[in-house]
Amino acid sequence: MRPSHLRRTILRKKRVMRLPTKFGTKVALFLAAILFAAPGRSQVLNSGASPISLNAVLPDSITLTLSSHAVNFTLLAGNTNNPGSTGVTAATTWVLRPSVNSLKLYAFFSSSTAALSDGAGHNIPSADFQISDNGGAFAALTNTVAFGGANAGLQVSSVPIRGYNKTGTNSDVMTFNINLAPLPNLPAGVYTGTLTIQAQAF
Amino acid sequence: MHQPGLREHAGEEILWYLHSGGKMKTVRISWAVMAGAAIALSASFACAQVNSGAQAISLNAKLAESLTLNLSANAVNFTLSAGSATNAGSAGVTATTAWTLAPGRNNVNVYAYFTSSTAALSDGAGDNIPSSAFYITDNTTPAAALTNTVVFGGANAGLRLANVQITTTNRTASRTDAMTFNIDLSTGTLPQLPANTYTGTLNIQAQAL
Repeated sequence: MRPSHLRRTILRKKRVMRLPTKFGTKVALFLAAILFAAPGRSQVLNSGASPISLNAVLPDSITLTLSSHAVNFTLLAGNTNNPGSTGVTAATTWVLRPSVNSLKLYAFFSSSTAALSDGAGHNIPSADFQISDNGGAFAALTNTVAFGGANAGLQVSSVPIRGYNKTGTNSDVMTFNINLAPLPNLPAGVYTGTLTIQAQAF
Repeated sequence: MHQPGLREHAGEEILWYLHSGGKMKTVRISWAVMAGAAIALSASFACAQVNSGAQAISLNAKLAESLTLNLSANAVNFTLSAGSATNAGSAGVTATTAWTLAPGRNNVNVYAYFTSSTAALSDGAGDNIPSSAFYITDNTTPAAALTNTVVFGGANAGLRLANVQITTTNRTASRTDAMTFNIDLSTGTLPQLPANTYTGTLNIQAQAL
Protein backbone atom coordinates (compact mmCIF):
# COMPACT_ATOMS: atom_id res chain seq x y z
CA MET A 1 0.00 0.00 0.00
CA ARG A 2 1.30 3.33 -0.86
CA PRO A 3 1.90 5.82 1.89
CA SER A 4 -0.52 8.30 0.49
CA HIS A 5 -3.21 5.72 0.29
CA LEU A 6 -2.47 4.60 3.77
CA ARG A 7 -2.78 8.15 5.13
CA ARG A 8 -6.13 8.58 3.50
CA THR A 9 -7.30 5.32 4.91
CA ILE A 10 -6.26 6.29 8.38
CA LEU A 11 -7.94 9.66 8.09
CA ARG A 12 -11.16 8.03 6.92
CA LYS A 13 -11.12 5.64 9.84
CA LYS A 14 -10.52 8.50 12.25
CA ARG A 15 -13.45 10.31 10.75
CA VAL A 16 -15.62 7.26 11.10
CA MET A 17 -14.59 6.80 14.69
CA ARG A 18 -15.19 10.48 15.43
CA LEU A 19 -18.84 10.27 14.42
CA PRO A 20 -19.88 7.82 17.15
CA THR A 21 -17.97 9.89 19.62
CA LYS A 22 -20.01 12.96 18.82
CA PHE A 23 -23.20 10.99 18.96
CA GLY A 24 -22.22 9.52 22.31
CA THR A 25 -21.50 12.89 23.67
CA LYS A 26 -24.92 14.10 22.70
CA VAL A 27 -26.57 11.05 24.21
CA ALA A 28 -24.61 11.50 27.37
CA LEU A 29 -25.63 15.09 27.61
CA PHE A 30 -29.25 14.13 27.04
CA LEU A 31 -29.13 11.43 29.68
CA ALA A 32 -27.52 13.84 32.11
CA ALA A 33 -30.27 16.32 31.45
CA ILE A 34 -32.83 13.63 32.15
CA LEU A 35 -31.04 12.62 35.31
CA PHE A 36 -30.93 16.18 36.56
CA ALA A 37 -34.51 16.76 35.58
CA ALA A 38 -35.85 13.52 37.02
CA PRO A 39 -35.42 14.41 40.75
CA GLY A 40 -37.41 17.65 40.21
CA ARG A 41 -40.43 15.85 38.75
CA SER A 42 -40.50 13.18 41.47
CA GLN A 43 -41.22 15.86 44.24
CA VAL A 44 -44.73 16.54 42.80
CA LEU A 45 -46.32 13.28 43.71
CA ASN A 46 -50.02 13.45 44.58
CA SER A 47 -52.13 10.88 46.32
CA GLY A 48 -55.79 10.48 45.69
CA ALA A 49 -58.12 12.98 47.40
CA SER A 50 -59.67 11.60 50.59
CA PRO A 51 -62.82 13.47 51.62
CA ILE A 52 -63.85 14.08 55.21
CA SER A 53 -67.52 14.65 55.72
CA LEU A 54 -68.18 17.48 58.12
CA ASN A 55 -71.45 17.75 60.04
CA ALA A 56 -71.84 20.65 62.43
CA VAL A 57 -75.14 20.92 64.28
CA LEU A 58 -76.09 24.03 66.16
CA PRO A 59 -79.24 22.76 67.87
CA ASP A 60 -82.27 24.80 68.73
CA SER A 61 -82.24 25.75 72.36
CA ILE A 62 -84.20 27.88 74.77
CA THR A 63 -83.09 28.25 78.33
CA LEU A 64 -85.11 29.98 80.98
CA THR A 65 -83.78 30.94 84.37
CA LEU A 66 -85.60 32.64 87.20
CA SER A 67 -84.08 34.99 89.72
CA SER A 68 -86.17 33.42 92.46
CA HIS A 69 -88.38 30.41 92.89
CA ALA A 70 -90.54 31.48 95.82
CA VAL A 71 -92.94 34.32 96.46
CA ASN A 72 -94.89 34.94 99.65
CA PHE A 73 -98.07 36.90 100.13
CA THR A 74 -99.56 38.38 103.27
CA LEU A 75 -103.22 38.52 102.45
CA LEU A 76 -105.79 40.96 103.69
CA ALA A 77 -109.31 39.61 103.45
CA GLY A 78 -111.31 41.14 100.65
CA ASN A 79 -108.49 43.43 99.64
CA THR A 80 -107.71 44.15 96.01
CA ASN A 81 -104.01 44.61 96.56
CA ASN A 82 -102.02 41.78 98.05
CA PRO A 83 -98.60 42.09 96.44
CA GLY A 84 -96.02 39.36 96.43
CA SER A 85 -93.02 39.65 98.70
CA THR A 86 -90.63 39.88 95.75
CA GLY A 87 -90.55 40.17 92.01
CA VAL A 88 -89.08 37.45 89.83
CA THR A 89 -86.99 38.08 86.73
CA ALA A 90 -87.22 35.52 83.96
CA ALA A 91 -84.14 35.53 81.71
CA THR A 92 -84.76 33.76 78.43
CA THR A 93 -81.86 32.85 76.15
CA TRP A 94 -82.30 31.22 72.78
CA VAL A 95 -80.57 29.88 69.70
CA LEU A 96 -83.13 29.28 66.99
CA ARG A 97 -83.25 28.14 63.41
CA PRO A 98 -84.39 30.38 60.58
CA SER A 99 -87.87 28.84 60.40
CA VAL A 100 -88.76 30.19 63.85
CA ASN A 101 -90.68 33.42 63.86
CA SER A 102 -91.65 34.12 67.43
CA LEU A 103 -90.66 33.39 70.99
CA LYS A 104 -93.26 33.66 73.71
CA LEU A 105 -93.03 33.48 77.46
CA TYR A 106 -95.94 32.01 79.35
CA ALA A 107 -97.00 31.89 82.98
CA PHE A 108 -99.53 29.31 83.95
CA PHE A 109 -101.15 27.20 86.62
CA SER A 110 -102.24 23.64 86.12
CA SER A 111 -105.75 24.54 87.26
CA SER A 112 -107.76 27.70 86.82
CA THR A 113 -110.01 27.00 89.78
CA ALA A 114 -107.32 26.14 92.30
CA ALA A 115 -104.25 28.18 91.52
CA LEU A 116 -103.58 28.32 95.24
CA SER A 117 -105.31 26.16 97.80
CA ASP A 118 -105.39 25.60 101.54
CA GLY A 119 -105.80 21.89 100.94
CA ALA A 120 -109.19 21.91 102.59
CA GLY A 121 -111.27 22.83 99.60
CA HIS A 122 -110.72 26.56 99.72
CA ASN A 123 -109.04 27.93 96.65
CA ILE A 124 -107.78 31.07 95.02
CA PRO A 125 -108.49 30.84 91.29
CA SER A 126 -106.02 31.89 88.62
CA ALA A 127 -108.38 34.71 87.70
CA ASP A 128 -107.45 36.41 90.96
CA PHE A 129 -103.73 35.97 90.46
CA GLN A 130 -102.15 38.82 88.55
CA ILE A 131 -98.78 39.44 86.95
CA SER A 132 -97.23 42.69 85.87
CA ASP A 133 -94.45 42.28 83.31
CA ASN A 134 -91.74 44.93 83.13
CA GLY A 135 -93.90 47.51 84.87
CA GLY A 136 -96.96 46.97 82.71
CA ALA A 137 -100.50 46.65 83.91
CA PHE A 138 -101.44 43.69 86.04
CA ALA A 139 -103.12 40.92 84.11
CA ALA A 140 -104.87 37.86 85.50
CA LEU A 141 -104.13 34.34 84.34
CA THR A 142 -107.37 33.67 82.56
CA ASN A 143 -106.24 32.55 79.13
CA THR A 144 -105.68 29.13 77.65
CA VAL A 145 -102.07 29.12 76.52
CA ALA A 146 -99.65 26.54 75.19
CA PHE A 147 -99.03 25.10 78.64
CA GLY A 148 -101.05 24.51 81.79
CA GLY A 149 -104.74 24.24 82.44
CA ALA A 150 -107.55 25.76 80.47
CA ASN A 151 -108.11 29.43 81.29
CA ALA A 152 -105.17 29.27 83.68
CA GLY A 153 -102.45 31.03 81.72
CA LEU A 154 -101.05 34.31 80.56
CA GLN A 155 -98.70 35.16 77.73
CA VAL A 156 -96.18 37.28 79.56
CA SER A 157 -94.25 38.48 76.53
CA SER A 158 -93.67 37.87 72.83
CA VAL A 159 -90.45 38.48 70.91
CA PRO A 160 -90.51 38.50 67.10
CA ILE A 161 -87.60 36.46 65.78
CA ARG A 162 -85.89 38.06 62.82
CA GLY A 163 -82.59 37.59 61.09
CA TYR A 164 -80.75 39.68 63.61
CA ASN A 165 -81.96 37.89 66.73
CA LYS A 166 -81.94 34.19 65.95
CA THR A 167 -79.69 34.12 68.94
CA GLY A 168 -80.80 36.42 71.68
CA THR A 169 -81.93 37.05 75.21
CA ASN A 170 -84.93 38.65 76.84
CA SER A 171 -85.66 39.69 80.38
CA ASP A 172 -89.09 39.79 81.97
CA VAL A 173 -89.35 41.37 85.39
CA MET A 174 -92.52 40.01 86.90
CA THR A 175 -94.35 41.27 89.96
CA PHE A 176 -97.34 39.55 91.43
CA ASN A 177 -100.62 40.39 93.13
CA ILE A 178 -103.53 38.46 94.52
CA ASN A 179 -106.87 40.20 94.28
CA LEU A 180 -109.20 39.04 97.04
CA ALA A 181 -111.99 41.46 96.24
CA PRO A 182 -113.87 38.72 94.38
CA LEU A 183 -113.24 36.39 97.33
CA PRO A 184 -114.62 38.24 100.35
CA ASN A 185 -115.43 35.04 102.19
CA LEU A 186 -112.11 33.32 101.72
CA PRO A 187 -111.35 31.75 105.08
CA ALA A 188 -108.14 32.48 106.90
CA GLY A 189 -105.47 29.98 106.13
CA VAL A 190 -102.24 29.30 104.27
CA TYR A 191 -102.72 28.97 100.55
CA THR A 192 -100.00 27.41 98.46
CA GLY A 193 -99.58 26.89 94.76
CA THR A 194 -97.08 26.62 91.93
CA LEU A 195 -96.80 29.16 89.18
CA THR A 196 -94.88 27.84 86.20
CA ILE A 197 -92.98 29.93 83.70
CA GLN A 198 -92.09 28.45 80.32
CA ALA A 199 -91.00 29.73 76.92
CA GLN A 200 -91.88 28.46 73.49
CA ALA A 201 -90.54 29.33 70.05
CA PHE A 202 -92.32 28.49 66.85
CA MET B 1 -98.95 12.15 22.03
CA HIS B 2 -97.83 13.87 25.19
CA GLN B 3 -100.18 16.22 26.93
CA PRO B 4 -99.23 18.95 29.40
CA GLY B 5 -99.16 17.51 32.87
CA LEU B 6 -99.09 14.01 31.56
CA ARG B 7 -97.41 11.66 33.97
CA GLU B 8 -94.85 9.32 32.49
CA HIS B 9 -92.88 6.47 34.01
CA ALA B 10 -94.81 6.56 37.18
CA GLY B 11 -92.27 4.57 39.16
CA GLU B 12 -89.20 6.53 38.17
CA GLU B 13 -89.84 10.02 37.08
CA ILE B 14 -92.35 12.48 35.87
CA LEU B 15 -92.10 14.27 32.57
CA TRP B 16 -93.90 17.53 32.39
CA TYR B 17 -94.16 19.47 29.24
CA LEU B 18 -94.45 23.05 30.08
CA HIS B 19 -95.29 25.62 27.53
CA SER B 20 -93.25 28.69 28.15
CA GLY B 21 -92.46 31.43 25.72
CA GLY B 22 -93.54 29.33 22.85
CA LYS B 23 -91.01 26.60 23.63
CA MET B 24 -91.57 23.21 25.08
CA LYS B 25 -89.55 22.42 28.18
CA THR B 26 -89.09 19.16 29.89
CA VAL B 27 -88.71 19.01 33.65
CA ARG B 28 -87.61 15.81 35.30
CA ILE B 29 -88.33 15.37 38.94
CA SER B 30 -87.14 12.13 40.32
CA TRP B 31 -88.99 10.41 43.08
CA ALA B 32 -85.86 10.49 45.19
CA VAL B 33 -85.72 14.26 45.04
CA MET B 34 -89.39 14.51 45.84
CA ALA B 35 -89.03 12.14 48.75
CA GLY B 36 -86.04 14.04 50.03
CA ALA B 37 -87.88 17.30 49.81
CA ALA B 38 -90.84 15.81 51.62
CA ILE B 39 -88.63 14.49 54.41
CA ALA B 40 -86.86 17.78 54.70
CA LEU B 41 -90.15 19.65 54.86
CA SER B 42 -91.58 17.30 57.44
CA ALA B 43 -88.43 17.52 59.50
CA SER B 44 -88.55 21.26 59.25
CA PHE B 45 -92.13 21.34 60.47
CA ALA B 46 -91.41 18.83 63.21
CA CYS B 47 -88.61 20.96 64.58
CA ALA B 48 -90.50 24.23 64.23
CA GLN B 49 -91.58 24.32 67.88
CA VAL B 50 -89.00 24.59 70.61
CA ASN B 51 -89.82 24.72 74.30
CA SER B 52 -87.74 25.76 77.24
CA GLY B 53 -87.79 23.83 80.43
CA ALA B 54 -90.60 24.69 82.83
CA GLN B 55 -89.46 26.80 85.76
CA ALA B 56 -91.58 26.71 88.91
CA ILE B 57 -92.29 29.47 91.36
CA SER B 58 -93.65 28.34 94.70
CA LEU B 59 -96.42 30.58 95.96
CA ASN B 60 -97.27 30.87 99.61
CA ALA B 61 -100.12 33.17 100.55
CA LYS B 62 -101.15 33.53 104.15
CA LEU B 63 -104.48 34.93 105.11
CA ALA B 64 -104.21 35.26 108.87
CA GLU B 65 -107.12 34.97 111.25
CA SER B 66 -108.23 38.22 112.76
CA LEU B 67 -110.95 39.48 115.06
CA THR B 68 -111.10 43.17 115.80
CA LEU B 69 -113.52 45.28 117.79
CA ASN B 70 -113.70 49.05 117.70
CA LEU B 71 -115.89 51.39 119.73
CA SER B 72 -117.31 54.66 118.53
CA ALA B 73 -116.64 56.18 121.94
CA ASN B 74 -114.83 55.18 125.05
CA ALA B 75 -116.63 57.22 127.67
CA VAL B 76 -120.20 57.52 128.86
CA ASN B 77 -121.49 59.79 131.59
CA PHE B 78 -124.58 59.37 133.71
CA THR B 79 -126.47 61.95 135.66
CA LEU B 80 -128.09 59.90 138.35
CA SER B 81 -131.38 60.52 140.03
CA ALA B 82 -131.68 58.81 143.39
CA GLY B 83 -134.02 55.82 143.33
CA SER B 84 -134.82 56.27 139.68
CA ALA B 85 -135.12 53.31 137.35
CA THR B 86 -134.06 55.36 134.41
CA ASN B 87 -130.65 56.95 134.34
CA ALA B 88 -129.59 56.92 130.73
CA GLY B 89 -126.05 57.25 129.54
CA SER B 90 -124.96 60.44 127.84
CA ALA B 91 -124.26 58.70 124.57
CA GLY B 92 -124.66 55.41 122.89
CA VAL B 93 -121.62 53.46 121.81
CA THR B 94 -121.39 51.43 118.67
CA ALA B 95 -119.15 48.38 118.68
CA THR B 96 -117.93 47.30 115.27
CA THR B 97 -116.66 43.76 115.17
CA ALA B 98 -114.79 42.51 112.11
CA TRP B 99 -113.32 39.13 111.49
CA THR B 100 -111.53 36.85 109.09
CA LEU B 101 -111.77 33.31 110.32
CA ALA B 102 -110.34 29.97 109.43
CA PRO B 103 -112.41 26.95 108.61
CA GLY B 104 -113.69 25.31 111.77
CA ARG B 105 -114.90 28.51 113.37
CA ASN B 106 -118.63 28.44 113.96
CA ASN B 107 -119.50 31.45 116.07
CA VAL B 108 -118.57 34.99 116.88
CA ASN B 109 -119.87 36.31 120.21
CA VAL B 110 -119.72 39.82 121.53
CA TYR B 111 -119.72 40.33 125.27
CA ALA B 112 -120.02 43.21 127.72
CA TYR B 113 -118.74 42.71 131.23
CA PHE B 114 -117.42 44.12 134.43
CA THR B 115 -114.69 42.54 136.48
CA SER B 116 -116.94 42.47 139.51
CA SER B 117 -120.66 41.95 139.81
CA THR B 118 -120.94 43.71 143.14
CA ALA B 119 -118.94 46.78 142.29
CA ALA B 120 -119.51 47.61 138.66
CA LEU B 121 -119.25 51.26 139.58
CA SER B 122 -117.91 52.52 142.88
CA ASP B 123 -117.33 55.75 144.74
CA GLY B 124 -114.16 54.31 146.20
CA ALA B 125 -115.59 54.63 149.67
CA GLY B 126 -117.41 51.32 149.83
CA ASP B 127 -120.52 52.44 148.04
CA ASN B 128 -121.13 50.52 144.84
CA ILE B 129 -123.49 50.07 141.98
CA PRO B 130 -123.71 46.37 141.10
CA SER B 131 -123.64 45.06 137.52
CA SER B 132 -127.22 43.88 137.96
CA ALA B 133 -128.28 47.56 138.00
CA PHE B 134 -126.45 48.31 134.77
CA TYR B 135 -128.45 47.74 131.59
CA ILE B 136 -127.51 47.64 127.96
CA THR B 137 -129.82 47.86 125.01
CA ASP B 138 -128.14 46.34 121.96
CA ASN B 139 -129.58 47.46 118.66
CA THR B 140 -133.29 46.75 119.02
CA THR B 141 -133.17 44.12 121.72
CA PRO B 142 -134.71 44.89 125.11
CA ALA B 143 -132.42 46.27 127.80
CA ALA B 144 -130.66 43.57 129.77
CA ALA B 145 -128.63 43.71 132.97
CA LEU B 146 -125.14 42.27 133.25
CA THR B 147 -125.95 39.34 135.48
CA ASN B 148 -124.51 36.43 133.60
CA THR B 149 -121.23 34.66 133.87
CA VAL B 150 -119.63 34.91 130.46
CA VAL B 151 -116.23 33.99 129.11
CA PHE B 152 -114.73 37.25 130.28
CA GLY B 153 -115.02 39.24 133.48
CA GLY B 154 -116.35 38.42 136.87
CA ALA B 155 -118.97 35.92 137.81
CA ASN B 156 -122.48 37.15 137.19
CA ALA B 157 -121.03 40.34 135.77
CA GLY B 158 -121.52 39.89 132.08
CA LEU B 159 -123.88 39.94 129.14
CA ARG B 160 -123.62 38.41 125.72
CA LEU B 161 -124.61 41.10 123.32
CA ALA B 162 -124.51 39.16 120.06
CA ASN B 163 -124.02 35.75 118.62
CA VAL B 164 -123.19 35.32 114.93
CA GLN B 165 -123.27 31.95 113.25
CA ILE B 166 -120.29 31.57 110.92
CA THR B 167 -120.94 29.95 107.57
CA THR B 168 -119.08 29.81 104.28
CA THR B 169 -120.67 33.11 103.38
CA ASN B 170 -119.38 35.15 106.31
CA ARG B 171 -115.92 33.89 107.20
CA THR B 172 -114.82 37.39 106.54
CA ALA B 173 -117.47 39.79 107.77
CA SER B 174 -118.36 42.40 110.34
CA ARG B 175 -121.25 43.45 112.52
CA THR B 176 -122.22 46.45 114.57
CA ASP B 177 -123.77 46.61 117.99
CA ALA B 178 -125.27 49.96 118.81
CA MET B 179 -125.45 50.04 122.58
CA THR B 180 -127.28 52.39 124.86
CA PHE B 181 -126.94 52.30 128.63
CA ASN B 182 -129.02 52.78 131.68
CA ILE B 183 -128.49 52.54 135.46
CA ASP B 184 -131.45 51.45 137.52
CA LEU B 185 -131.28 52.82 141.05
CA SER B 186 -134.74 51.69 142.00
CA THR B 187 -134.06 48.24 143.36
CA GLY B 188 -132.49 46.73 146.44
CA THR B 189 -130.43 49.13 148.53
CA LEU B 190 -129.68 51.41 145.61
CA PRO B 191 -132.41 53.96 146.47
CA GLN B 192 -130.20 54.70 149.50
CA LEU B 193 -127.07 55.14 147.41
CA PRO B 194 -125.21 58.14 148.76
CA ALA B 195 -124.55 61.08 146.57
CA ASN B 196 -121.15 60.83 145.05
CA THR B 197 -119.26 60.12 141.84
CA TYR B 198 -119.31 56.53 140.84
CA THR B 199 -116.87 55.28 138.31
CA GLY B 200 -116.33 51.99 136.67
CA THR B 201 -115.13 50.28 133.48
CA LEU B 202 -117.34 48.38 131.16
CA ASN B 203 -115.50 46.13 128.75
CA ILE B 204 -116.69 45.00 125.35
CA GLN B 205 -114.98 42.00 123.83
CA ALA B 206 -115.60 39.52 121.07
CA GLN B 207 -114.70 35.87 120.78
CA ALA B 208 -114.71 33.47 117.86
CA LEU B 209 -114.99 29.77 118.45
